[in-house]
Amino acid sequence: MAAGAGNPEELPKKHLRKQLAATVRNIQWSYAIFWSISTRQQGVLAWSDGYYNGDIKTRKTTQPLEFKADQIALQRSEQLRELYESLLAGDNEQQSTRPSASLSPEDLTGTEWLPGKALASNQQIWLSNAQFADSKLFSRSLLAKTVVCIPFMGGVLELGTTELVLEDPALLQQITTSFWDLPISVCSEQSISSPPLAEKDEDILCPNLDHEIVDTMVLEDHHLMADCLAPLESGPAAIPFGIHSYAHDEENDLIQDKAEEPHTNICEELKIGSSDDSSNECCANQQANDSFTIEGLNGTSQAQNGQLMNDEISNSLHGSLNSNDCISQSFVNPQRFLSCPAGERIKNHVLDSLQEGDYMKLISLDLDGEESHYIKTLAAILMNSKQLTEIPCFPSGSRESSFVVWRRSLNTPKPLSTISQRLLKKILVDTVWMHGGWPLKPQEEDGPHNKVGKSEGDDANASHVLSERRRREKLNEKFLVLRSLVPFVNKVDKASILGDTIEYLKELERRVEELESCRGLGDPEPSGRRMHPDIAERTSDNYGNKKIANGTKPCANKRKAHDIDEAGVEHHCVLSKDGPADVIVTVIEKEVLLELLCPWRECLLLEIIDAISNLHLDPLSVQSSTVDNNLAVTIKAKFKGSVVASPGMIKRTLQRVVELAIIISMQHSSKLLWL
Amino acid sequence: MAFSSVPAPCPPRLALGSFIEDYANRVDVVTFDEDARAFRPDPSLSFDHPYPPTKLMFHPKPLPNSPSSLLASSGEFLRLWQLNHHGDSSPKVELRAILNNSKSSEFCAPLTSFDWNDAEPRRIGTSSIDTTCTVWDIERGAIETQLIAHDKEVYDIAWGEAGVFASVSADGSVRIFDLRDKEHSTIVYESPRPDTPLLRLAWNKTDLRYMATILMDSNRVVIVDIRSPAVPVAELQRHRASVNAVAWAPQAARHICSAGDDGQALIWEVPASGAAVPPDGIDPALVYTAGAEINQLQWSAAHPDWIGIAFANKVQLLRV
Repeated sequence: MAAGAGNPEELPKKHLRKQLAATVRNIQWSYAIFWSISTRQQGVLAWSDGYYNGDIKTRKTTQPLEFKADQIALQRSEQLRELYESLLAGDNEQQSTRPSASLSPEDLTGTEWLPGKALASNQQIWLSNAQFADSKLFSRSLLAKTVVCIPFMGGVLELGTTELVLEDPALLQQITTSFWDLPISVCSEQSISSPPLAEKDEDILCPNLDHEIVDTMVLEDHHLMADCLAPLESGPAAIPFGIHSYAHDEENDLIQDKAEEPHTNICEELKIGSSDDSSNECCANQQANDSFTIEGLNGTSQAQNGQLMNDEISNSLHGSLNSNDCISQSFVNPQRFLSCPAGERIKNHVLDSLQEGDYMKLISLDLDGEESHYIKTLAAILMNSKQLTEIPCFPSGSRESSFVVWRRSLNTPKPLSTISQRLLKKILVDTVWMHGGWPLKPQEEDGPHNKVGKSEGDDANASHVLSERRRREKLNEKFLVLRSLVPFVNKVDKASILGDTIEYLKELERRVEELESCRGLGDPEPSGRRMHPDIAERTSDNYGNKKIANGTKPCANKRKAHDIDEAGVEHHCVLSKDGPADVIVTVIEKEVLLELLCPWRECLLLEIIDAISNLHLDPLSVQSSTVDNNLAVTIKAKFKGSVVASPGMIKRTLQRVVELAIIISMQHSSKLLWL
Repeated sequence: MAFSSVPAPCPPRLALGSFIEDYANRVDVVTFDEDARAFRPDPSLSFDHPYPPTKLMFHPKPLPNSPSSLLASSGEFLRLWQLNHHGDSSPKVELRAILNNSKSSEFCAPLTSFDWNDAEPRRIGTSSIDTTCTVWDIERGAIETQLIAHDKEVYDIAWGEAGVFASVSADGSVRIFDLRDKEHSTIVYESPRPDTPLLRLAWNKTDLRYMATILMDSNRVVIVDIRSPAVPVAELQRHRASVNAVAWAPQAARHICSAGDDGQALIWEVPASGAAVPPDGIDPALVYTAGAEINQLQWSAAHPDWIGIAFANKVQLLRV
């Protein structure tokens, strides 16, 4: 009967069986069977589980009793089940059918026989739909002398014994209670007996919750508890919806505590666990606590993820989110139990409906899917939060207090400082400037910060990045300017720009020195001029890529020399007379700077460029101007190929070009004259 | 002055930090003698602290009989100090760790605040003006995680549960972060005028639903219920000037104390959820008037009938 026995969860089955076992042993009867509502057939009870506690006397099972009694009994239970199955198929009249199972009814001893009659009687009970605490005693010679069938938990618990026992309601109650109370058990079960849920009807329980209840209730061994604990502990994490009531409890801790502590302590603890606002009037047992609900339902959490929110919502039964968090759960001591036998059942179904009601409320709270993360967080917070006793904060007048009662009419002083929250702001805001490297300006809290050299600009907010970028741009701009000032700087990287600038400066200083000395000595400019190529070449030897810019300075120096040095001027004049150009060539490795000052002729520039290219020089930039009929040209050129012309050669070439140009033009003009 | 109360069962001790706008600052640990009603500073337990400490906090769950206690301070770094109560041989205060969360050696963002996780005392969360919050594992001395918490500077941080914290920042929002789900954070409250910075945050440790925050230049204390974000439960408006500090009662679920520039420390009782809030606001229950604006407030967790306040250059312990 897979219906009954093949429960989806193994755990409850085992629990049930152990429960049955314990119960039977407790009252020292022979067997206990739990019939649950068959899922196969309407109105039929199906075998759920059974336990046999008697002697085994069939010939079929003549096993040596080295097995533990338990195991044997369980085995027997299995056999009985099979028998029952066959019987059921045969429509359960006591001797109507001949089972083809391994066991035949005659095999069973009087104690073992699992009657269809019992079934019938159950069915009777069932069909009559009384669902009341009912019991029947049977005396049969063939059967166990006494069979008691108790409608219980949505099914029927059948207990049988070989002795004749008179009907005893007290015993019944004891059975039902002891069913839950297990001798080894360390924890007691709970029942929710909140006032609005008061109902004494025991059995309006959803069948599908049976097993879960069983699950939770039977926490007999550590093993079981461990099993329960595992789903429980993962339960809170798996709960997708937040708790909307004060669903505090250290339930996990509590359960673990139970493993170690004796029973009574737990109860005390739970009593101590205070509740919250509105539950003060509840009796001592009450705690605003839904832990067991959660516990109960967590057992199914894996199976029924969807309804997990139910558990925590169970607290918020009464509509408002936490107007009443007091579902008191009284821990049931076996000693205390007998007072309210009905109260021990968990009114899950009621909770269920309420939970669903609240589920709807949850949905109506506009929590969309994206909030599920937050809800998980909320769940985590509120589930795991410990509940502390609310100690009254103000013992009224028992001790002297620094505080006085507030009255509206109290004259309070006006703000004593003009800057509000001065110190707080200082702590938060101005500490920044105190740490090295941060800018000194007082910072607005909502303004962007200027961070100097902050390498974490990536991590910081966008304003940092912007300011950093601005700074960088400023720097780059300045580098560009420097580059334009310093000739010979062809590389754009900042290091080389700076290096070249340094060298240029040094060179200039040297030249200034020379000039000053020149001025004093009256040295002709040529010497100065001669030095330039030397310097250039020297420098090219000494400083690899770094260019010493002679730049326009030679020209300028030359001109100065004109002013200062007559010889220079003469030279210059001589030059112009002769026609050759004033040429200064500076060569640094592959780069050449040419400065040419010569009388202007037509097409002279083209000739010059032509000549340069013939020298395997690739002009990179040309600056030319005509001043007073003189052409001043500055050419920066680069050697293409590996051929490098010497400065002297370049100079001579250029001068020749210029001479040629002059001659040609003179010829032109003379030709014209001739004509 | 920034100071903290120590959760020690023995006579209350306070760590007081100085606030001098300079590099050299000090932290003093004083003991309060309840019978004599006097402070007794312990000179050996006084140490130098670079830059003023923005917050000081003792270890929330010290072992009962341990000879030393841990004090954490935040400044430009998070520092852990070990105070040895007994023993003459070892130095009284030693710096146990400097926890520096900057990647470069040049700069670090100063920490505005930090909070020691009660449930997981090895976790300290720090908030800094570089908009990040860092969670430290102090036993390993390493960063557990670092989150960019806000768009602007983060001004305060508070733990709710072992893996959940909340922070407030200059962008005016209170956000809750869950360490299990670092991608998401939830804004629980935003200041009504956008970009009003929220300066401080206090999470009610007894009733984790409630948080209190204060806005800049505002005399209101905003109580937020984390289950209903965006709508505050109450705004406590009885201060005559802006509020500087708030603290929840450590063991009562609904009492909160606030102190402000009007020199008053007010104790309020937050109404139970669902109870009607009077239309003109909630009145505080108790008041204490100090002589100057009160800058700091701490409610001792171990001695819940003492509240410490700091104003001007004085520290007072108030009995509730």
